[in-house]
Amino acid sequence: MILQTALLIGLVIFAALAILLRDLLKSAIALAVASLLLGIIFFRMNAPYAGAFEISVVAGLITVLFVLTIALTKTGEEVRESKLVNVAFPVVFVAFIVIDALVMKGLIGKIPALAAGAETGSFGDVLWKARTYDLVGQIAVILAGVFAVLALFRKREKND
Amino acid sequence: MIILFIVLPLVVAGILPLAGRLSRRVLPDLLANATLLALVVYAAVAGRSLIAGGPVLLQPSWLGETIGLRLGLDGFSLFMLMAVSVVGFAACLFSINYMEHYGSKATFYALYLVMMAGMNGLVLASDLFSVYVFLEVAAVASYALVAYGLGHDELEAAFKYLMLSVVGSAFVVAAVAVIYGMTGALDFAAVAAGLRELNAGPVVAIASAFFLFGFGLKAALVPFHAWLPDAHPSAPAPISAVLSGLLIKVSGVYAMTRIFLNVFGLTPALSTVMMWMGIVSLVVAAFLALGQKDMKRMLAYSSISQVGYIVLGIGIGTPLGIAGGLFHLFNHALAKGLLFLTSGSVQQATGTRDLDEMGGLAKRMPVTAATNLVGALSIAGVPPLNGFWSKLLIIVALVQAGHGAFAVVAVLASVLTLWYYLLMQRKAFFGKLNAKWAGVKEAPFWMTASTVLLALLCVGIGIFFSSTITTWIQPAADVLADGLHAVTGSWGF
Repeated sequence: MILQTALLIGLVIFAALAILLRDLLKSAIALAVASLLLGIIFFRMNAPYAGAFEISVVAGLITVLFVLTIALTKTGEEVRESKLVNVAFPVVFVAFIVIDALVMKGLIGKIPALAAGAETGSFGDVLWKARTYDLVGQIAVILAGVFAVLALFRKREKND
Repeated sequence: MIILFIVLPLVVAGILPLAGRLSRRVLPDLLANATLLALVVYAAVAGRSLIAGGPVLLQPSWLGETIGLRLGLDGFSLFMLMAVSVVGFAACLFSINYMEHYGSKATFYALYLVMMAGMNGLVLASDLFSVYVFLEVAAVASYALVAYGLGHDELEAAFKYLMLSVVGSAFVVAAVAVIYGMTGALDFAAVAAGLRELNAGPVVAIASAFFLFGFGLKAALVPFHAWLPDAHPSAPAPISAVLSGLLIKVSGVYAMTRIFLNVFGLTPALSTVMMWMGIVSLVVAAFLALGQKDMKRMLAYSSISQVGYIVLGIGIGTPLGIAGGLFHLFNHALAKGLLFLTSGSVQQATGTRDLDEMGGLAKRMPVTAATNLVGALSIAGVPPLNGFWSKLLIIVALVQAGHGAFAVVAVLASVLTLWYYLLMQRKAFFGKLNAKWAGVKEAPFWMTASTVLLALLCVGIGIFFSSTITTWIQPAADVLADGLHAVTGSWGF
C-alpha cells in the first residue's frame, strides 16, 4: 500500500514536472520517468502487457524520439509565454486534486466490481481478441496520420 | 451493409495515393466524387427501408472473427449520415476545380475521405469508446486539412485548432473513463441501463460536465469557441464548408445530443445548461460576426451563432424543440456549406477575403452572387427558404415550453443575422463594380455546379418542408424524444 501510494505520488509529481520545466530535455526526461512509474503500477495491478508496452514504447521509444528531435533543433529566440500560465496551472492542478480527493472517496465505494480482472490468455489473445474493439478506428487514425504527414511535407509540384 | 459508410471511404483513401501516381488529376477527382456520390445514393435510397423495422445493429466480422466494433443505425444516425453525405459530396465536387492550384490532389482527397469515414463512424458508433476513436479520426484528418495551404496563417490556425481540440478530446476520454469506472460498460444500452440501476447522480454530473466541456469545444459553443474563427477561414474553401457545415455538428452536437438524450437522459438541469449555452453562443457570436471585415471570418462567427440555435432547440427537450433543432442542423449544414463554397469562388476570383475591397461582383459572377444570396437568406431565416421553417419550429417550441424570454432573444438575434448577411451582400456583390475586378470571371463549372446544387436544395427543402420533416427529421427527433428507452429498448445485443 505504501509502495503503491509512493508510486502514484511520484507519477503525479513527474507528470507535473514534465509540464512545468522550462528546459525541453529535462521535461522529456520527467515524462519518461512518469511513464516508467506508470508502467510499474500496471505491472503491480496485474496488467503485464500494458506495463510492458508503457515502458518499452512510451518510456523508451518515444523518449528517444523526443531527445533526438531536441538534439537536432537549434535554440532559437526565447518564446515569450504569458505569465498567466505559471499561475493558472498550479491553481487548476490544486483545485483538481482537492475535488478529486473529495469526490472520489465517495465514489469508489459505489463502483461495482469490474467484469474483467487480470489479463488472461496469451499475448495474441489479448492483442487480437480483446483489442479488436478499436481496430477499425485505429487503422483509420493511422491512415489519417500518414496522409497528414504526406500532405504537410509534400513537395510543391512544378506547375503549381 | 452499413459498414460501407466507414469502410468504403477508408479503402478508397488507401487506393488514392496509388491512383495519384497513374493520373495526377482525373482519376483522384473521379474516385473521390464517385465514392461520395455512392454514399449519398445509398443513404437516400436504401437508408429508410433499412430502418423501417426498427434500428439496424451490426457487429462486423473479419475472416470468421467478430470485430469488437458495434454499429447501430436508427432514425437519428441515418439523418446525420444523409447530411454528411450530401454536404460532403457537394464540397468534394467543388474541390475538382478549387484544389487545382494547391497541388497533390490525391493526398487531399485521401485525407478528405478519411475525415468523412471518421464522421460516418462517429454517427454509427454504438459505444462510448468508439465515439472517441472516430472523433479522433475525423479530427486528425481535419488538422492536416486546415493546414493544407502550408502558409503561415494556415499553420498557425491548424496548430491552435489542434491544441484546443486535443484538450476537448482529453475531456471526452476522461468522461468515458468515469462512466466505465462506474458501470463497467461502454455500450450505449448497457451504460444507460447501468446508470439507471446505480442511481449515481454525482457521477453523471461529473461525466456530463466533462462531456459538455469536450463536446462544447468541438462544437465551438461560447465560451469554447476561440479556435473556430481562425481555423475555419484559413482552411481551403471546401474544407471550411465541411468543417463548419458538418464537423462541428457531428463531433460536437451529434455526440453531445446522443449521449445526453439517449444515454444519460435529459435532466432539467442539463436542459437548462444546454439552453443557456445555446442562447449565449447565439447572441455573442452574432454580435462578433457583425464587426468582421473578412468574409470567411464572418461566416465562421455565424456558424458559432447558428450552432447556438441548434443546441438551444435540442436543449428544450420537447419533441417539437428537438425536431426544430435537428431541422436547423440540416439546413445550416446545407446553407453554411454553400456560403463557404461561394466565398471560396470569390476568393479564388479576386484573391481577397476582405469585404471592403470587394463590391459589385454580382455583375461579374452572377451565379455565385445568386447562390450566396440564397444561402445568406436561408440562414437568416427569410421565408420561404428552409432556414425560416427550422427557426420557426424552434421559436414555437420555446414559446410552447414557456420560455418566452428565450424566444424573444432568438427572434432578435435572427434580425441581427439578417443584418450582417445583408451587409455582406451589399459589400461583396451589390453596388458599383470596383474597377479592380473588371477582369473577374464567373467560377469554373464544377464550382458553380456544386453551389447551385446546394442552393436548389435550400430552396427545395423550403418549399417541401413538410415532407422533409416527415421523412427525415421526424424519425430522428422521435429517437431523441424517446430518451433512454431508444437505446435500452432496442439497441441491446
